[in-house]
Amino acid sequence: MSTRPQETAPSASRFGRFVSGDGAVAFVMILPAAILFCLFYLWPFVNGFWLSLHNWDGFSDPTWAGFSNYQRLAHDRIFLGALRNNLIFVVAVVVLKNVLGLGLALLLDRALVGRTFFRAAAFIPVTMSFVAVGLLWSWIYNPVFGLLNGALDLFGLGALKQSWLGDANIALYSIIVVDVWKWLGFHAVIYLAGLQTIPSELYESAKMDGAGPVQRFWHVTLPMMMPIVFINTILGLSGAFVRNFDIVYVLTKGGPNHATEVVLTYMMSKAFQDGAMSYAAAIGYVLFLIVGLASVGLLALMRRQKLDV
Amino acid sequence: MSGSANPSLPLGNGMASHRHRLGARGVLELVGIYAALVLVLLETIYPLLWVLFGSLKTKQEMLSNIWGPPSSLVFQNYVDAWRIAGMGSRIVSSVFVTGSALIILVAVATPCAYALARLRFPGRGLVLAVAVAAMLVPPQVMAIPLFMVARDLGLINNRLGIAFVYAATSLPLSVFILRSFFVTLPADLEDAARVDGASRLAILIHIMLPLIRPGVALILIFGFIEIWNDFFLAFLLLRDPSVQTIPLGLVSFFQQYDSLWTLYFAALTITTLPVIVVFIAMQRQFIAGLTAGAVKG
Repeated sequence: MSTRPQETAPSASRFGRFVSGDGAVAFVMILPAAILFCLFYLWPFVNGFWLSLHNWDGFSDPTWAGFSNYQRLAHDRIFLGALRNNLIFVVAVVVLKNVLGLGLALLLDRALVGRTFFRAAAFIPVTMSFVAVGLLWSWIYNPVFGLLNGALDLFGLGALKQSWLGDANIALYSIIVVDVWKWLGFHAVIYLAGLQTIPSELYESAKMDGAGPVQRFWHVTLPMMMPIVFINTILGLSGAFVRNFDIVYVLTKGGPNHATEVVLTYMMSKAFQDGAMSYAAAIGYVLFLIVGLASVGLLALMRRQKLDV
Repeated sequence: MSGSANPSLPLGNGMASHRHRLGARGVLELVGIYAALVLVLLETIYPLLWVLFGSLKTKQEMLSNIWGPPSSLVFQNYVDAWRIAGMGSRIVSSVFVTGSALIILVAVATPCAYALARLRFPGRGLVLAVAVAAMLVPPQVMAIPLFMVARDLGLINNRLGIAFVYAATSLPLSVFILRSFFVTLPADLEDAARVDGASRLAILIHIMLPLIRPGVALILIFGFIEIWNDFFLAFLLLRDPSVQTIPLGLVSFFQQYDSLWTLYFAALTITTLPVIVVFIAMQRQFIAGLTAGAVKG
């Protein structure tokens, strides 16, 4: 970039060059974003760590606590249970969204008539709020007049009826189904866009080599789709760790007896029911470390596989 | 593709691709595909229809006729739900919060993205690195300190305050997306204007902004879905019922009156249907926008 023609003779100092070049303009343009970012992103991030090293109820004077909050977390059974539930949730939804999303995309890709219609229908849950989705499903799962138990009765499968959200053994999986239901269309649409970039010559030549539909899927579709699989995994992964508060809060509030407790619901109840602000901040930090490590690990894997996306 | 690419094959010769050849087996396959798609359709749409049906039934009919459409249309449910759930003020809150947040976001992210894409200045690499790193830190993990900061600034129960917080949480991704749009614009455009003596700001507003409209549309779509539907940050920062947004209102309505099923379905329809209608009206742009960022080519 050249300097502005109407500027005065460039000063020799660094500051002079900064002002006469693009530096000053850039500074002014970035300043509003920088203020907003520092105030509501960087400062809470730094402050949260400081907070986690103290004991504070949010009102009286904070006292220094070192890493004792973190040590307590390592022995907190409810927290460890929430962490376990959170990991089950993440693995299950990421796998299901990818497998079912790709399956749905393959169906949509083959549909000659009505593709736009079916794609839009599958996408509708994505536009709904988690709260609306959660409230809807609390009715579907209602043990007395819910849609699901009613449907089981209708098909003579009454023996399979469950208290879908009340039974500690299955409540977490019931919630996982809801999350997958909401996001399936989103991942399918991304897979569909990816499928449409695969050149049909590849299928033709595989066909001439005598590859059946299953072989074509394994040897053409799947290898070509690996970058999209990674994108969908990253999108699903970061979301699954931190976007489960709404749905768990609406459906079960973490119950019965912490069976569906996830890290964020536990953090919020510690902060606003027990007033343990610094302990809750430490929970947030542990969650950050896990999400950060998972994302960085996945990105490193992508780079090693030369999937530059 | 293990060993299937034979170089002597006349690639691209059989232009009638595999999708257009239909034998008896092909027809059977299509029937299977459509059967599966109808199943998907039922699984996504029927629950929503069920809510719509339920919202128009009487409470007695809800129990006697679980599955089908209502025998008469009880629009009174909507009137009652609107009044009891305080829908009017919730909608005002949601519109105000989402609108303000999106205006702040575009006003703040656009110049920043432009500077990162088109200007040379010391520290550019650092700013970009911070934006990318911030995308790895979801705002939910710092909810507690964020609550503290908002409290110290007097922003609890403040709708404009939460709009700033929403804008900040969407900022890193938005800057990143807009920057990638600015980078693709040719430099000649800008150089010509600068020779004519136009300032950087004038260039940004009059020349560049119209050209990156798809990028702005993309961050508006992302931002709208995110902010309009958000429960978590609103739950954290809007504690006073008089300033609460639609998702908070729905939850408290449900918790207080969970036996008023028909009203409750009506409230759900009031809040869900408009978004679905907007989506159906502009679904092409919607889906194109969402996939543009993720899939190249």
